[in-house]
Amino acid sequence: MANRPILASPKRPPLWRNATFLKWAAQIGVLFGVLALGSVLVGEAMANMRAQGLSLDWDLLTDPPGIQLGEGIFIKPSTGLEAFYTGAVNMLRVALSGIVAATVVGAIVGIARLSSNWLASRLATVFVESLRNIPVLVQVVFWFFLASTLFPVLEEDSSGPIPGVLLVSRKGVSFAWPFPQETFWQWGAFLVAGLLTARWAYRTRMRRAEALGEATRPGRWALMAFLAWAIVGWFAHPLAGAIGWLFMLLAASVGAIPVLVYQVVLALASLYLGWRWIHRFLESRRSPAGLAKLTDDDYFRMILAGALGAGGAAVLMLLPAATEVGTNVIQYLLEFCDQKFEFLRSGAPLAIGSPSVEVPGRFPQIAGTGLTMTPSFFGIWMGVTLYTASFIAEIVRGGILSVPKGQSEAGYALGLRRGQLLRMVILPQAFRVILPPLGNQYLNLSKNTSLGIAVAFPEMVQVGQTMFNQTGDTIQVILIWMAFYLSISLLISVLINYYNRRTQLVER
Amino acid sequence: MENGAANPIIVCENVKKWFGDFQALRGVTTSVEEGEVVVVIGPSGSGKSTFIRCINRLEQHQEGRIVVAGIELTSDVRNIERIRSEVGMVFQQFNLFPHLTVMQNITLAQVWVRKRSRSDAEERAMALLERVGIPEQAAKYPGQLSGGQQQRVAIARSLAMDPKIMLFDEPTSALDPEMIKEVLEVMQELAGTGMTIVAVTHEMGFAREVANRIVLFDEGQIVEEGPPSEFFANPRHPRTRMFLSQILSH
Ligand SMILES: Nc1ncnc2c1ncn2[C@@H]1O[C@H](COP(=O)(O)OP(=O)(O)OP(=O)(O)O)[C@@H](O)[C@H]1O
Ligand SMILES: [Mg+2]
Repeated sequence: MANRPILASPKRPPLWRNATFLKWAAQIGVLFGVLALGSVLVGEAMANMRAQGLSLDWDLLTDPPGIQLGEGIFIKPSTGLEAFYTGAVNMLRVALSGIVAATVVGAIVGIARLSSNWLASRLATVFVESLRNIPVLVQVVFWFFLASTLFPVLEEDSSGPIPGVLLVSRKGVSFAWPFPQETFWQWGAFLVAGLLTARWAYRTRMRRAEALGEATRPGRWALMAFLAWAIVGWFAHPLAGAIGWLFMLLAASVGAIPVLVYQVVLALASLYLGWRWIHRFLESRRSPAGLAKLTDDDYFRMILAGALGAGGAAVLMLLPAATEVGTNVIQYLLEFCDQKFEFLRSGAPLAIGSPSVEVPGRFPQIAGTGLTMTPSFFGIWMGVTLYTASFIAEIVRGGILSVPKGQSEAGYALGLRRGQLLRMVILPQAFRVILPPLGNQYLNLSKNTSLGIAVAFPEMVQVGQTMFNQTGDTIQVILIWMAFYLSISLLISVLINYYNRRTQLVER
Repeated sequence: MENGAANPIIVCENVKKWFGDFQALRGVTTSVEEGEVVVVIGPSGSGKSTFIRCINRLEQHQEGRIVVAGIELTSDVRNIERIRSEVGMVFQQFNLFPHLTVMQNITLAQVWVRKRSRSDAEERAMALLERVGIPEQAAKYPGQLSGGQQQRVAIARSLAMDPKIMLFDEPTSALDPEMIKEVLEVMQELAGTGMTIVAVTHEMGFAREVANRIVLFDEGQIVEEGPPSEFFANPRHPRTRMFLSQILSH
């Protein structure tokens, strides 16, 4: 060693001590490890299932399930797909309306807890402390029990308490409701145009208000614009039926183009996405002083992105079936939209249906003429909504308290009123703190809808369970459940993260 | 009191204030002339902040009277709003709105309280940023500025409302020494324009040079007040002598 010439660069360490190599090896090792483990597990499971005579076929989606559901779009589904579709829509009905209601109730209670009004803050405290300390399952059952025992028994001649408008009974609460008719979508096109105009009007009036400092009533202008479109559309909607031709044309052209064209376009898009990711990544590492020195991690990420792009392209080219399914779905959707429009098809877009009673067998039932909330829906909806609202109230309260007192003092010292202060100073800052845990509550609420099974509400889990009792296809049902809840959760997470990023504070 | 020439813009008469059963102000009587610069000093916990926060109703006094710019502070919400729009306040912790840019910080209340058009408000904001020496920071967020710059933005934000009176509560106590100077210079310039100023500060250089009057608080009361020359040269009250010897020895 000592009599060797002094080298210009330091001696390279052996491979097993080279940090760069080790890091790369670890990354690639983990990647292959995960892939290998996954394929072994799946392969093993498949082999075991075959050995036991179980097969992972998906006939349950197309076969008639021979089940009946408590409520929903298809009460007697003719295929398994229809059954799951009904369960999914029922679940989403509870989840979406529950999320909206829980947010509103939670925000009000949370603000009330901070109110200087003694009674309001005490009531809010009682609300929060009692609801969040009772298991949600108990609450669901409680509301269900309340609705199905305290309300009057449904008789053949029941009509009260407000005949023709509201019918309250143990079989459910039914009220008059404007139901969309055949021509609703045609009118809907006008409503969409109205919304766009309203947004444009709001922004223009707002900009005018800011430029000239006068009150320009942007909200009122937006509302008027929307109402104008809605009213005109109510009468003119048969003309909007012409949109149907557009969908027809699109559907026809989607079907006319050979699958290979789609494959090539999508494969190129996949390659482009990989390349764009790498490009953007390099841009983000570039400072005015030039390209920063890239770490091994950076290289690994770029190679992974490139490989994913290329892999995606390869899969698309090798598996035409995947693309075909995609185009078929798109074609189906376009044709579906086409049917909703028909040039010069007339008739009121909405028609009011009143609650009524029918006697199909021996017992009276609420007929489908009004909008009916069953005790099951009431139970699961009230249960998850109020339970989640009590947590949201605490999150809102904590968010507002997290804004330093100096902020309100500065606002007051400038002459802002309480409402202005809350709206423009406190809530925007509280929102940053509130958003992430709020997203968690939305996820919890969505997953808690699966407790509907306790009150026979046909959401995903209840439908799935009925299905595998009938068919024995447990694994398929579990896979459907997991895919469903995972996609809903991911969707919520993505939305929340998006807003979260938009509300971050700029710091040094 | 030496201000017999009567154009007082702030009048306090026997103001008392309790926090629970702790009495923070034990009968404060004083008045401030238009254009006067009053520096309030005193040991920690003596009620200096409480006193100036009572002037714009960030704290509510329970006994006595406070009249600001001819408007008496009562529980009448309208009076409180009118007084707050005449009185600007600058805090030790700046209290800028961190989610808004410097420009938005300065225009927010102009647009919503003073009902100015956005363009007028922005013009005024730029002029004030120019005046406090940081026009180039308009588009930044408070979190991106140094403490001294933030405090100057806070001063500009208050001035944008065209207040008749400016209150300062230890505006330099949270700053590094080199930033203290830039804020004091802005305050000094402001005093030169004839603004009425009530400032709690322990910057004795500023008090000596700029103040018309120095007020010493102790245990919720005014112990001694007078023009700086007299106040520093021959304090009458033993409490004043003790306090001065403490802060001047640092
Ligand atoms: N919100 C409050 N609740 C209870 N006590 C308070 C409150 N604010 C102030 N005090 C008390 O009132 C007294 C006067 O406080 P103040 O903040 O006015 O003192 P200060 O002279 O400004 O002191 P410092 O120099 O430390 O700022 C102190 O004893 C303080 O503990
Ligand atoms: Mg203080």
